[in-house]
Amino acid sequence: MKKILLFSLITLSFLGCFKSNTEPYYSTGYRPIYMSRTEIEKVSVTTPQALKTPGKIYIKDGYLFVNEVNKGVHIFNNKDPKKPLKIAFIQIPGNIDIAIRGAILYADNYTDLLSFDVTNPTEAKLLNRTKDIFPNQNFPPYTGINFECVNNSKGTVVGWEKIDYNSPDYKTTKFNCYR
Amino acid sequence: MKKIQTLYLILGIFFFQNCQQQSSEGVSPTGNGQGGSLARFTLGEGFLYTVSDFDMNVFDINTNPSVPNKLKTIKLGFGAETIFPYKNMLFIGTTTGMKIFDNQDQTNPKLLSTFTHVYSCDPVVVQGNYAYVTLRNGNACTRGQNSLDIVDIKDPKNPLLIKTIPMQNPHGLAVDGNNLFVCEGNFGLKSFDLTDPLKPVEREFLKDVISYDVIPNDKKLIVTGKNGIYQYDYSDPKALKLLSNIPLE
Repeated sequence: MKKILLFSLITLSFLGCFKSNTEPYYSTGYRPIYMSRTEIEKVSVTTPQALKTPGKIYIKDGYLFVNEVNKGVHIFNNKDPKKPLKIAFIQIPGNIDIAIRGAILYADNYTDLLSFDVTNPTEAKLLNRTKDIFPNQNFPPYTGINFECVNNSKGTVVGWEKIDYNSPDYKTTKFNCYR
Repeated sequence: MKKIQTLYLILGIFFFQNCQQQSSEGVSPTGNGQGGSLARFTLGEGFLYTVSDFDMNVFDINTNPSVPNKLKTIKLGFGAETIFPYKNMLFIGTTTGMKIFDNQDQTNPKLLSTFTHVYSCDPVVVQGNYAYVTLRNGNACTRGQNSLDIVDIKDPKNPLLIKTIPMQNPHGLAVDGNNLFVCEGNFGLKSFDLTDPLKPVEREFLKDVISYDVIPNDKKLIVTGKNGIYQYDYSDPKALKLLSNIPLE
């Protein structure tokens, strides 16, 4: 009995080997979306931009700050809440959260933490960048799934995309990691 | 006589312009701003706190406000989503419950307790002796339930669940005196009378206002959602009065 068990175990472990060598094997999985340092650091203050995907909101001294999910921050002069006026946009890739103390706005820029002088909100100025404060997304935000292992030399992982049979990149994606 | 009238007129215009200039001044160099309940950044007096999935970072922004100096990282476990400051405490909403930190020493928040519940997405706001937590089912939190929990935090080391009120799909929320506002996602925005902090009574349900988060300030409510930003006056809490709507473009 013990021998059979041992034999099956060995056979099974071999099967495991075969499976992991046959690629692509899994029907679906996730692939990292990379962004280069240059792209991440494309921060600028621009004229008002279209409000498309509003995220979190923040107020200070009659100004309303509205996050444009993953894109930046809209600034409104909201001294008259009946007539909020869009006055500027700060482009910050990967931005989700902000906080303002005094006239300094703190914002996330994917993995980095930025500070801006917003004394004059139409002329916000980038004061500082602290790199690698927030965690890298080195694995997808799901469990029980296959994904392509991260290669940090390709850039910073800023998101994950689902790849299945229908995806054009299906054959070139290696689902060599599991979580 | 006419000369005097003209003089007054000129003076009047002068002061009026002055006033206008005053009101269009920029952001003041002092004080903290105010965020909604879904915020992952919050402020102390000279400190910035950020939460991300697994931990909380504490930054000194007093010494050199333009260059935040990270003082420490505190492990939170899994699924930290929101942070809310109240008195000398920090309340952190996670996918498995609410964590209360003592923040008397702002450089070093200390965990007082963890109030555990089913796996949900959940921001938290606090007023007086009670924390209001919404639990939501959806996306990353598929096993959750939809409800508003009222938790007694008189003893922050030992939070006690007082009540669970069923909701539809609650996201952000806000409490201001006798008013409680709950964003019901695609279902709308709810306004409650909170005269009895343990018995919210529904006053209004604005089904057209898709809402994710709210900020109450000076009897005015700012609501954000998939369809844009709405602002209401709630000086008469029985009926929210629409002030403006910033639509999507």
